[in-house]
Amino acid sequence: MKKIWRATCAAVAAFAMAACTNSVTSTGGTTDEDIKIGTLLDVTSWDPAQADIGFDGPYLSALYDPLIALDKNSRPVPGLARSWRFSTDHLTLTMNLRTGVKFSDGEVFDAAAAVQNLRHLKDGVRSGQAYANVTAIREVDADTIALDLKKKDDALLYYMGVGRSWMASPAAIEAKTLATRPVGSGPYTYDEGKSTPGSEYVFTKKSGHWDDKTYPFGTVHVLPIADPTASFNAMLSGQLDVAYANAADIPRAKDKGWNVASDVATWVGIQFTDRTGKELKPLGDIRVRRAINHAFDGAAMLKSVGQGAGVATTQVFPAGRPAYDEALNDRYAFDMDKAKRLMAEAGYPDGFEVTMPMSSIFQPWQPSVQQTLGKLGIKVTWKNLSPADYQKNAATYPMFVAVLALDSNPAASVDGRITSRQWFNPNPSTKDFPEVDELIGKIEKADGEAQVTLIRQLNEKITDLAWQDVWYQADNTYFSVKGVKVTPITGMMFPTLRFVQRG
Amino acid sequence: MLRFTIRRLMSGVVLLLVVTSATFFLAHLAIGDPTAGLLGNNATPAQRAALHERLGLDRPLITQYWDWFSHAIRGDFGTSWRNFQPVSDQIALRVPVTLSVVLAAMFLAAVAGLGIGIVTGLRPDGILARVLKLASVVLFALPGFWVSLVLVMTFAVRLKWFPAVGYVPLTQSPSAWLSSITLPAVALALAAIVMIAEQLRNGFLEVSRQDFVRTLRARGLSSRRITLHVLRNASPAALTVLAVMSVGLLGGAIVVEIIFNLPGIGSLTQSASQIGDIPVLLGLTAVTVVFVVLINFLLDLVLGWINPKVREI
Repeated sequence: MKKIWRATCAAVAAFAMAACTNSVTSTGGTTDEDIKIGTLLDVTSWDPAQADIGFDGPYLSALYDPLIALDKNSRPVPGLARSWRFSTDHLTLTMNLRTGVKFSDGEVFDAAAAVQNLRHLKDGVRSGQAYANVTAIREVDADTIALDLKKKDDALLYYMGVGRSWMASPAAIEAKTLATRPVGSGPYTYDEGKSTPGSEYVFTKKSGHWDDKTYPFGTVHVLPIADPTASFNAMLSGQLDVAYANAADIPRAKDKGWNVASDVATWVGIQFTDRTGKELKPLGDIRVRRAINHAFDGAAMLKSVGQGAGVATTQVFPAGRPAYDEALNDRYAFDMDKAKRLMAEAGYPDGFEVTMPMSSIFQPWQPSVQQTLGKLGIKVTWKNLSPADYQKNAATYPMFVAVLALDSNPAASVDGRITSRQWFNPNPSTKDFPEVDELIGKIEKADGEAQVTLIRQLNEKITDLAWQDVWYQADNTYFSVKGVKVTPITGMMFPTLRFVQRG
Repeated sequence: MLRFTIRRLMSGVVLLLVVTSATFFLAHLAIGDPTAGLLGNNATPAQRAALHERLGLDRPLITQYWDWFSHAIRGDFGTSWRNFQPVSDQIALRVPVTLSVVLAAMFLAAVAGLGIGIVTGLRPDGILARVLKLASVVLFALPGFWVSLVLVMTFAVRLKWFPAVGYVPLTQSPSAWLSSITLPAVALALAAIVMIAEQLRNGFLEVSRQDFVRTLRARGLSSRRITLHVLRNASPAALTVLAVMSVGLLGGAIVVEIIFNLPGIGSLTQSASQIGDIPVLLGLTAVTVVFVVLINFLLDLVLGWINPKVREI
């Protein structure tokens, strides 16, 4: 028996030593030239037309160049398009393209390639939204293209920059193989041999890329880590240099001396889909919508459910941006007595009944909603849906709990939140609200600072009309080790690689 | 033994049919229309209808079932609704991850559990026996994910011996592979080790008190040979526990895959469920059932070999 024991002990020791020795090479952190980035989700698709830009930024920006990129203030800057101009009637966008760029399969980037890509993106179910106003995409000459628009579109350049203008090899588009075999002209190539799909994607830097200086890291590792605890542990163990973070871990991250970068990314609250009372009569009364706004203590919800990471506000325009108005945040101060008075004035002193959808994603807010609306006498019947069905069906209910992405560009915010058809806004018509309609008309005609001033007025108007019940705007937070800096961009749930820099 | 083997195989096939059929219909009922998850939020009704047609969802459910079943029995699980790649390819990528962890955990559980069980059976009042009693109470009281987190904090974060997250394929680097599966396998195996050791120890003590052991001792057999006799009679219960635990390990692997961020079938099941990718879910169910059936079948064979009476059941 002693022999068995000795043999077992020896085997265990050998196993442990092998594992420990190996761990030095496999988990010993990254070199100066490498960076390991932990993001929340796996890549949706390598095909830019099928990708969901929110979290696909780090993956796609490694492999593809955009026609237009954004700077840290969300202003469009040149990518493969060196310059651009709108015609005087704003109905044609002409772009001058960079020359001498090749895709990794040897195909040349030129006007024909750009046209083919933009048509592919316009036809894409996910990417097509950005090109809703584009009627034709034309090749003008070898390095010039033109996009014809059905109406003035002030959000187009922003949408292209946020992740809707990645250029892929024409041959790969033709072969319909992009979804699994990406071919771009981007700063990195995908190292399939070193990658483990679903766990770690490795990208190796190209030599001689035209925008070489923007990408300081030799090898980029992107690790999709859905569990926030696992992500934080990976940072602690030195396996990650950058992580999509849980706000609750901010104090510990600061203790560790990591960089913490946050900015608002979503608004959280109740979306009213029926503001005219066609489906649920009480919601057509502005006093009821205002009562609901007054009934919720947004600051308390931010603290308790949102872990304090964000800004308590009543607005859907991102905090700190030009269309945001600090003064509007007092408009619906938490006041249950006032809320009850408004309900009584509207003729609903005992409330009313409403059916609202619910899914696992929104359950953290469910008890507060149930309780708060209950205090107004509003009896909620919950209809449980799967997360996928929620996004398809939530807007068929008169109101629903929402966590909706924000856009940093004011015109895109108007387009995305109000005037275009979205899953959360199936009826974008503003005809029933003449003041809103008039302002939208003016905004569409205006430019520059004058347009921003009008958008600020629109913000005040829809806040006044209790267009929705916003509790707070929630931050996205990123941790990075010393020497690495992340710049959050509202509109990108995880910023593209140009926003991950040394510093 | 042949009839016994055929009987066990047949019951496995029936189980496979029942479970996959039930999964097919339940998944269609529970997930509903998958196009929202697949096309994104802003797809138009026309785009949704086109995808319905492409996926064959516009056909009666029973037709869809027969189509799936007739292909599945030939090993063709169809294509994923997410990326239109063969389901079998995706599962082939993920199964090695889960199997690596589960088989390593089973190996650890078997070796350590049987070893500790024998030692504590031979020395029921020794220190190891007392440690085992304490461990069995503590490990069953603590949630599995908490034990995993303690392992991560100790061996990955503090000591940096092992990675906190991630998986390296065996083909890429055997040493890094071993390193990446060690903590998940230990996390999975701990409870199983204790349970198997307890079963074996109890069985050992019970068998040691039986008349035939006393007779063997009276005949002057060496203690080693007596131990082997006792072990042979005491092991069926421990082996049964090992088989049951291996099925449990498969379930536990899903939690462990999340904590250690391993791209196994657990995380694939989670992502396929979120977007309603039914072909992938069905493929995963079939593979899991085959694994469970196989484990039970092997156990039955071993038990039948050890104890011929089992074959008559």
